[in-house]
Amino acid sequence: MYVARNLSLVIAALVLLGACSGKSENSVVAEDDEPQEDPRHERHELMEGVGKAAKPVGKMLKGEIDYDAEVVMTSLQTWHDASTDLGELFPVGSETGMDTEAAPAIWEDRPGFEAAITEFRKSVEAAMAAAPTTLEAAKPVVGPVFQTCKGCHDSYRIED
Amino acid sequence: MISAARLIIAVLFFGALAAWWVTEPRPLDPEDLPDHLADASAGELVFWAGGCASCHASPVDGNRAKDDDKLLLGGGLELDTPYGVFRVPNISSHEDDGIGRWSTLEFINAMQLGISPDKRHYYPSFPYTSYAKMAVEDIMDLRAYLRTLPAVSGKPAEHSLGFPWTLRRGIGAWKFRYLSNDPVLLFEASDGAVKRGQELVEGMGHCGECHTPRDIFGGVKKNRWLAGAPNPEGSGSIPNITPAGENTVDWSASDIAYYLESGFTPEYDTVGGSMVAVQENMAMLPKADREAIAAYLKAIPAVQD
Repeated sequence: MYVARNLSLVIAALVLLGACSGKSENSVVAEDDEPQEDPRHERHELMEGVGKAAKPVGKMLKGEIDYDAEVVMTSLQTWHDASTDLGELFPVGSETGMDTEAAPAIWEDRPGFEAAITEFRKSVEAAMAAAPTTLEAAKPVVGPVFQTCKGCHDSYRIED
Repeated sequence: MISAARLIIAVLFFGALAAWWVTEPRPLDPEDLPDHLADASAGELVFWAGGCASCHASPVDGNRAKDDDKLLLGGGLELDTPYGVFRVPNISSHEDDGIGRWSTLEFINAMQLGISPDKRHYYPSFPYTSYAKMAVEDIMDLRAYLRTLPAVSGKPAEHSLGFPWTLRRGIGAWKFRYLSNDPVLLFEASDGAVKRGQELVEGMGHCGECHTPRDIFGGVKKNRWLAGAPNPEGSGSIPNITPAGENTVDWSASDIAYYLESGFTPEYDTVGGSMVAVQENMAMLPKADREAIAAYLKAIPAVQD
């Protein structure tokens, strides 16, 4: 009887603990209890995806690997999706925490930040429209996309 | 019999004389100048490699100058350091507010000995400890290039430093220990690219001034050359760029050269922080120079973090 009661107490405790822990990244930080993805986490993942997509394309532009139009178009799509989602991931209240590298300028100069995102998106759209099938065709349209990465990061990202 | 008091006074008196003599600024003589016809277009490369604009170009709306504004060297940038606030001077060709009236000799004394035309020591926030390792001919070429740049009026205020850093004379003693024309490292083999990289990194590029930690007197610790240091401009740290540096340990020489050219790391992350201005300067150099810097960085002693 004692064992049964203690066991049920232990089980109740474990169930409660399980309900509380939820997604570990959010529970410490989120103001309300809704288990939504923290924008700081989402945008970090998003930009990592942008970087991963950039790597093979960059190597092609440098002539280190053979040109592959399919890979380029896939990367362009990844970048386009990122450019349309990015603007929503910097709400007020997400300026700090979770090792974010988002610069204060994003909130201090919101129009400038949104213009930088637009430049990124437009350069990707131009490259997608060109649909380059060779390295020579890719260089003039894909190169500028990389420049928008740098341009935005210079102003809106902080290094630690 | 000399009393103890008199002995102490005598020691102090002669000690002060000796200290005064030791800390005397010793500029070069005209005879020390080599016979070299200054070349302004060669000087332009020295200008970018030396990063002059990154400190001396007047800030625009509170931000670092960009593009053509980099050639307006009116000074005024403020460096907030543990010693106080340094204010970067005007080095434009303006005759009164800049260095328009300076002779070549005065320019060399400033750049390589840290001595002003009125024979005062400069603070080493001006990195003459690195420029001292440059070839004099490069300094002369730089002078010729600077003469071609616009005159900018306005003389920034003097530095606001805490005591005892206000005593300029003390720098004379500091220079005995920390100022030298000798290269930092000695290489056994004389690989052309590594030698050129050494000129660029140890001299003009003055990379060590940020990338090397300093001792309590503010001199760089040569035994940790380029092994990383706290950020002098704020929080965080400047990376270790020796072959053991954890940020860059996987980088090939061509990765380093490409980073300096484009600002992209091998993972297609972009250069950030204080390094942005440096990378933009390095992008102005010929490709062979960036490759030389990479060769040098691959050849230096690996120092663990």
